[in-house]
Amino acid sequence: MLTIENIEVTYHHTVQALRGLSLEVPDGKIVTLLGTNGAGKTTTLKAASNLLALENGEIGEGRIAFKGQSIMTVQPDKLVQQGLFHVREGRRIFSEMTVEDNLVAASYALDERKAKADYEKIYDFFPRLKERRKQIAGYLSGGEQQMLAFGRAMIARPELILMDEPSLGLAPKVVEEIFDTIRRLNAEDGVSILLVEQNAGVAFSVADYGYIMESGQIVMEGDVDTLRNDKDIQSFYLGVGEGDERQSFRDVKHYKRRKRWLS
Amino acid sequence: MGQFVQFAINGVMAGAIYALIAVGIVSVYKATKVVNFAHGYLIMFGAYFYFTFSVIIPNQPWAPEWLLSWQPDWLVAQKADLPMFSPMGAVLDWVSNLPRIVLGLTGALIANAIVGRIIERVLMRPLMGQSVFAMIMVTVGLISIMSGTASLIWTADAANVPFLSPSAPVKFEAFGTTIFLLGTDLVNMVLALLMFAAIVAFVKFTKGGIAIRATAEDQSTAYSMGISVPKVFSRAWVLASTTGAIAGAILATRNGISPSLGLFGFSVLAIVLMGGLDSYVGVLIAAMTVGVLEAMTQWKLGGSWAEIVPYVAVLIVLIWRPHGLMGQKEVERI
Repeated sequence: MLTIENIEVTYHHTVQALRGLSLEVPDGKIVTLLGTNGAGKTTTLKAASNLLALENGEIGEGRIAFKGQSIMTVQPDKLVQQGLFHVREGRRIFSEMTVEDNLVAASYALDERKAKADYEKIYDFFPRLKERRKQIAGYLSGGEQQMLAFGRAMIARPELILMDEPSLGLAPKVVEEIFDTIRRLNAEDGVSILLVEQNAGVAFSVADYGYIMESGQIVMEGDVDTLRNDKDIQSFYLGVGEGDERQSFRDVKHYKRRKRWLS
Repeated sequence: MGQFVQFAINGVMAGAIYALIAVGIVSVYKATKVVNFAHGYLIMFGAYFYFTFSVIIPNQPWAPEWLLSWQPDWLVAQKADLPMFSPMGAVLDWVSNLPRIVLGLTGALIANAIVGRIIERVLMRPLMGQSVFAMIMVTVGLISIMSGTASLIWTADAANVPFLSPSAPVKFEAFGTTIFLLGTDLVNMVLALLMFAAIVAFVKFTKGGIAIRATAEDQSTAYSMGISVPKVFSRAWVLASTTGAIAGAILATRNGISPSLGLFGFSVLAIVLMGGLDSYVGVLIAAMTVGVLEAMTQWKLGGSWAEIVPYVAVLIVLIWRPHGLMGQKEVERI
């Protein structure tokens, strides 16, 4: 579905954000991309949806292909129409417009496919949005805003969704709901998903395959089961202790807690 | 009281034209977040284009005679029977001007739309993704370019341009005094208000309007949802330049044409700030307020005050409400 090969991205010609990153999202699978803050996860998604130019970013080398075709020269709006939808970090709903208008705005993605937007489907999926369809979206709760962000993605009937930290700032209960939705989207509509997360636990619960990135490179990849059983991952992403004996923080030297795969 | 009504109506008529000019500034701001300082000069171009297509071209030796003055037999016959200064005579004069008015308006609309598109394509689009401030500075630079270009192209003395509608006087009694209006001013007002309403309805209720509002709020997200942001940009500029063309044509018939017409844009900019940069309704209210205030000060204090008092009012409103009367503050969840 999506292949990223060896890309390098620089911002403002000076700051190198990605250095030779490669990853692949197979058809109908959920792939997760984990990493610390500033590792370049969001930049990877922006590169794939071609939004970098708006922020003075530039893809130097490498190739990105969506459904086998290079996207490097395709405008972002055309990419959406081909079926690649980017749910951005922090939800980015249009807070001054009503819920309904937010969904209508997303229906631009269908323009060239001559398909009709199916609003009822969204409202069936999220009954709470139906109750609030005439409300200004900025006044929705965080969870409802995330639902709206998902609703917008579903209106566009994408084949691939790039999802940037859907759990950001949400209560654990709401996070669970959101991830149920992700599972449903994947199972019922066969949408492939590239999921960027900080919360490795929930990400592993839905994903098929995972990549770990650091300083703009992939440092580890594998099936979710393999990753989950990896010692380092357990220690640094899942918060499982390294040994059986209880450790006191006094005994652990601070610098030891920082694992670097690259030196 | 009768005097009051007379000046109030004058004020509303001026306000309607302010509103029509303001629509251009608000539309560009809403879509692109750029305050267009050069909008007055787009209007000046509109006025000059109207002059070109309705006066210069029909007066060329190669232009057909009916273009300058259309005199079909029935018109001549009807004119002959009329007494001097009858309202019907004004209408008939207008009918014989009709070909060049139509040519002037369509010419001005198309030419100004092209100018707007060129500005967007050549100067604004390459700056997409850069700071908005850069684009605003470009519009400031445009002022010099446009006023210079205008004086290079249109060296001829600007003669009178034909009115857009019959200039028959309209008289009626109110509160014991005779109210005296020009028919053409009334038609201008109705035209300006209709265009204003059409644009507001477009932005509020159509899908295209949703694209504009979405782009206004979050450019890159709109882009990533399939809305073609460059298209929205160029539509906003074309909208601004075409409404500017109509406004320019109206102003040309009211005040004559000169390069100083561009300065008019600045007083309208003050009105737009008063109403709120991104609110059509607020801007309409502000335009009417300033129009009426101007007429009233002219009546009570004389013409020299008329240029100051309304803008003092604008300043007071801005101190009281920095976002303008109805400008959007960001929605914050409490």
